Amino acid sequence: MGYEEGLEAYRSQLLQSLSSPPSRSVSSVSDPIQVYVNERRVGELEGDGIDARLHVQSLDHIETIQLRTEDGTLLGGLVAPEFGYRTSRIQLSSDTVELCVHNTAQGGSVSAVFAPAPSLWSRTWKALADVADRLAIRRPDMALAHSMRTIAFTQALLALMVVGLGFDRLANWMNPEGGLSFIGQPAALRTVSMTEMDKLEQQLGDLARMQQKVGETLESQQKGMAQLHQTMAQLSSSHESVASSVVMVKEEMEKRQEGPQTDRSTQRPVSDFVQKEQLEAAIKSLTVDNARLSNELARLEEHNQTLSAKLQTASVNAAKAVDPNPERLLVTQGDVARKNQSVQVAESLQHSQMQPFLFWVTFSEGTSQESIDQWVHEKKGHKGSINEGWQEVRIVPPAVPPDLFLEQIRGEKIVKAARIPE
Amino acid sequence: MADHTVTVSRLEEVVSTSDEFDQVVSQALPVLLDRATGYTKRFLRETGQWNDDIEHEKFALRWGSEYLERFLVCGRSEVPCRPLFLFDSLVAKQHSKPEPFCYHPDLLRPLGRFLDGLVARAVVSRDALIALYRHSYGWGAGEVIAVTGLNGLESQRIYKNFRRWRESGWQRTMDEIGLTKTELGELASQQQRQRQRFNGEAERLIRVAQAHYRKSEPDHYPCLSRAQWREMFTQGYGCDYRIWHLALCLDCMQTAWGLGSNGSLTEEKPRLELLVRP
Repeated sequence: MGYEEGLEAYRSQLLQSLSSPPSRSVSSVSDPIQVYVNERRVGELEGDGIDARLHVQSLDHIETIQLRTEDGTLLGGLVAPEFGYRTSRIQLSSDTVELCVHNTAQGGSVSAVFAPAPSLWSRTWKALADVADRLAIRRPDMALAHSMRTIAFTQALLALMVVGLGFDRLANWMNPEGGLSFIGQPAALRTVSMTEMDKLEQQLGDLARMQQKVGETLESQQKGMAQLHQTMAQLSSSHESVASSVVMVKEEMEKRQEGPQTDRSTQRPVSDFVQKEQLEAAIKSLTVDNARLSNELARLEEHNQTLSAKLQTASVNAAKAVDPNPERLLVTQGDVARKNQSVQVAESLQHSQMQPFLFWVTFSEGTSQESIDQWVHEKKGHKGSINEGWQEVRIVPPAVPPDLFLEQIRGEKIVKAARIPE
Repeated sequence: MADHTVTVSRLEEVVSTSDEFDQVVSQALPVLLDRATGYTKRFLRETGQWNDDIEHEKFALRWGSEYLERFLVCGRSEVPCRPLFLFDSLVAKQHSKPEPFCYHPDLLRPLGRFLDGLVARAVVSRDALIALYRHSYGWGAGEVIAVTGLNGLESQRIYKNFRRWRESGWQRTMDEIGLTKTELGELASQQQRQRQRFNGEAERLIRVAQAHYRKSEPDHYPCLSRAQWREMFTQGYGCDYRIWHLALCLDCMQTAWGLGSNGSLTEEKPRLELLVRP
């Protein structure tokens, strides 16, 4: 066999073994199931045990769990999550193994529970119970009556058997032929009688056991019936509550639909109360919102003031850095304003907070001090010192260029002359 | 080629249930086996352990098959998933472990493959574990029970392990490691011709394999002193410990020799006498 053929044969063999599904062979059904965690053997589950359990705690993080037979066949497995729980139900022919893995930061744990396939008797019993449950669900009264009839019939049958057996024993004792033959053939008859007695005793014993079993069955059935009654009662109460809820909802819906047509006099107290409650809630909500808005406003104002102060300081510093003479700065700003009329107002407003506009003015002769004050007031200015007849006035920087402003000033009646300081 | 593409694209789609997973994956076994084999080859190349010969090809195939078997069983619990990506991640996770498999150039030759396969199988199969006593020392079930000091209930299991191994376990293991009848015949003839040399070589190689696979034991199964072994045998605890560790450790077998038999084993300490067939 050549290199390629040998390899291909091996590959085919591996594929064939992988194709056959893993299963427990018949001979190994009762053998323990080996449990591997992270590919290490950690224990085993009894294959024929009822609800055999295995719990493994590990300091390491659990990655995989594998179940294998004793011959190494991989039956099932589970990949554990990084953190948290994962459960899996692994079917092994008719048996099952419940796996539960839990990983935490401190390590992991695995629990495996082996659940063997239920026996024929338990399957039959379960099937009967299912049928009974279905019947009870469909027609509970009928199923209940049927069960009661079964119990009564069983009890009557048992009583009849006991009475028959009693009569049988009594007939044996009272029968004179039997007594004569007993006397005539003492040894043989004694043997027969003793055998019969044994049989009877055995039958009685069987009967007693049966009676006991029947009693236990009856008791369990009665318990079942009681539970069924309780369940039915709970179900009916739940049903009633659901039905009443449905009725209430319907009524409520009808009321809402008939709102305008219904008698307002009956609804008014309720609606007034509801409206009052709603109003109170709205007021509360508004109060809270108002308080919140006030706080927000105060905070914003404070922030605004801080920003303004910073801006002022920064502007002054910048102005000083460009030119230490504030008057020249104003001139420069005026030149810039001429070039860019669109931003003039904004700039003027901005600089008004920084530096007032200063000019000197002389008034016409005979102008009263009152008129002067009024004029200054109209200009929103402040009077300064007087030097050789010139009144110093400080105003908010005008929106127009200084030259134009001075021209405007000079055109006014009471103004004789105006100039800006050199 | 078109089929291959279709299969791969189907494997890339999301499967929602375990049944769907089984169906999709079972139709793509050759593709997945080749993929896992390819990854294993690449790992061996990248770690400087690759040679272009049939032994290395078989080694890569064997481990590809091993990964695929685990994927088939464990992947079902991962739905919904994209099977191809899940498979890739599983193989990558295996290859990211330190020493993901037992690699030694001498373990790729027929004798090495036989021993490596046997010990590797013993890790996952109790039948193979018990059979290791048979293949290593030539013992039967009774001797294994005496050496390991087992009680009556455990003894019954040993007999069953022996029977299953003879019936199917050995052949399946040979198939899995790809040992042909010719190679097995060659091993047997080597043993007949040069028994001492053959056993010496087998002892050297089995130590390599045992040292690797003993890591699969629980952490609380380390090598013990004779006093500790004696206490365990005398007190009657650690049944699993005895069975698992002594099968996978030649040195501890010699250390604990005679403790389980109450003096009935009077022979000298056991030496490896390899049996190829069960």
